[in-house]
Amino acid sequence: MLPTITVDDKKCTDPLSCRKCLLTCPTHVLGLGTKVGPQKFREIDPNQFIVAGVRLERCAVCMDCVNVCPKNAIQVNF
Amino acid sequence: MCVWCERYADGYQRWYFNPANYARRLYKVRKEEEEASGAEANPQAAGGMALLTRDFLEALDRNDHDAIAKMKRQVEEISQTVHFGQVVTLEDILKVVDTIYPIAIMTCACRRSMLGLPNEENFTCMGMGPGMYKWERWPETYRGGIQFLTPDEAKDIVIQMNKRGLVQTLFTFGTPYLAGICNCDYPDCSAIRTTVDYGIHFLWKGHQVARVDNELCNGCTSCIHRCQFKALSFSPTQNKAYIDLFQCFGCGLCATECPQEAITMVERASFPALANVW
Repeated sequence: MLPTITVDDKKCTDPLSCRKCLLTCPTHVLGLGTKVGPQKFREIDPNQFIVAGVRLERCAVCMDCVNVCPKNAIQVNF
Repeated sequence: MCVWCERYADGYQRWYFNPANYARRLYKVRKEEEEASGAEANPQAAGGMALLTRDFLEALDRNDHDAIAKMKRQVEEISQTVHFGQVVTLEDILKVVDTIYPIAIMTCACRRSMLGLPNEENFTCMGMGPGMYKWERWPETYRGGIQFLTPDEAKDIVIQMNKRGLVQTLFTFGTPYLAGICNCDYPDCSAIRTTVDYGIHFLWKGHQVARVDNELCNGCTSCIHRCQFKALSFSPTQNKAYIDLFQCFGCGLCATECPQEAITMVERASFPALANVW
């Protein structure tokens, strides 16, 4: 069974400068990307950045990302 | 023999020493497809990393071998046509730096996406060839811009990154055209991680493998932290470094670190059973 990681993009407004969850994850499961994919100009706009679970097979459901998030934006379900 | 050498070496010792493989402008693939049909020009390189979805991880999780094999094949086919990498020793990469111009350094897309590293800590990725002029012209379209390097500066930077423990790899952008020197580590390099964790052949092993000379190895362990591929371990029983030749990617980082010169890089092709382990 794989965990599901849900990030509320409305609460997580500037992941590029926060990145606490990315750095705390012991197995580097989370990834940072843009909502628009590699599109000219928009892909470097901080407003377009989102965090998502990527390497989910390595998620141990430790909840460190949930606890470190200052905006309470992350949910992990297993 | 390395299939890329068979197809693209054209008499050179390795395919990445053949200057013709650096001669194409970047983005040609995209130009021939979307942009040719009128889509807005987009100077971003095509990446193969976003091809793996939750479907693949779920198939792995439930041991669905058929589904895994099918998805692997699809991803490998795309990556080998468009964008894949091969591990290269420091010695070879320094020769490559003398082959191609211009060379520029830029932010690493993998560490950017896995760690959100700011550009000032993340200039570890090198782009080569005429595509760099495009990014120079539109710096705002590539994160953090690019900085052109002289061949000597490029060599110094690669040597420094090798000292830091980063593995040198070459990447195609529209195979066989090589346009990237990456300096990678596990777990934040998408290529190493996809290859080592999922067994997807996205990063190819290099042309050499590392051998430990047990007479010379004194068990000092200074090489142990250098392996990014889970090929090198320490045997307390023998008090020696142990290298799994079948898992070794041939980057040479352990060899450059060994104070006893007990690790040597040997041609993969000199071992019949390793000659086709890529």
